Amino acid sequence: MATLNITYNGTSADYPGQVPAELSDHEIKRMAAEVVQNGEIKGLWLKHLPRSAFDGFVVDRIHSAHGGLRIYLRPKVPFGA
Amino acid sequence: MKIVFCGVGALGSTAAMLCRSLGAELVFIDFDRVETKNLAAQAFVKQSLGKNKAEALKLQLQNFYGLKCEAFGVRIESTNVEVLCQSADLLVDCFDNAQSRKLLSDYARRAQKKLVHAALAADGSFGLVRWDGNFVPDPEDVAGQATCEGGAHLPFIGLLSASLARVIQDYVSKKAEHEVMVSLNGASWT
Repeated sequence: MATLNITYNGTSADYPGQVPAELSDHEIKRMAAEVVQNGEIKGLWLKHLPRSAFDGFVVDRIHSAHGGLRIYLRPKVPFGA
Repeated sequence: MKIVFCGVGALGSTAAMLCRSLGAELVFIDFDRVETKNLAAQAFVKQSLGKNKAEALKLQLQNFYGLKCEAFGVRIESTNVEVLCQSADLLVDCFDNAQSRKLLSDYARRAQKKLVHAALAADGSFGLVRWDGNFVPDPEDVAGQATCEGGAHLPFIGLLSASLARVIQDYVSKKAEHEVMVSLNGASWT
């Protein structure tokens, strides 16, 4: 299992439950759109969020220094300048 | 300790200014020149207009703070990356394109150099500071996509640059390798 963090429109928050670690990127994006639409994440409730909102996003899987897998769904970050 | 900043645009120039008290040797690499539009979101002053960015940053740190730095006004390529980076104890990637980030990452892995990346979303609402093991460069949505050039994103660039400077400080002082994610609702260690 893993902790899912979602960043959308400048707001970042953890999904309160655990998610299966083996979810594909596509499944994570689909699930994220559903939980944000349903208001399941405190501070990140967008009732009319399009299902495709996370299509261009990136999924990172990182083993936390504190143990456990964290999955980050985030916008692309192409720039340094 | 020698810290080499690769790319001194918005994030690189601002983070370098915040690293001026670390007691480390600072080196700047950037082929670009300071233009009027850069004054809105980068650490350059009006007197630096027209100068190479790496040279301008070196002169500003020398003139304002008496700090001696090195500057290389060239583009990092496969033919010169080793010469430019081989003496680095820490490489800092603040490039604005995936190709240069990958070139630097490949070199760091080959030469076993420590490399930390800082990266910003196009809309200035999200950014990351990550060590090379956890970083994959994101391509632009469209080649040559406009970067955060206007002043609108300056506070966020400041926040992300400060996070990068703090990560560098923790590495210099404790060899700690922290990572940070910055969004509009704050910065958090990841």
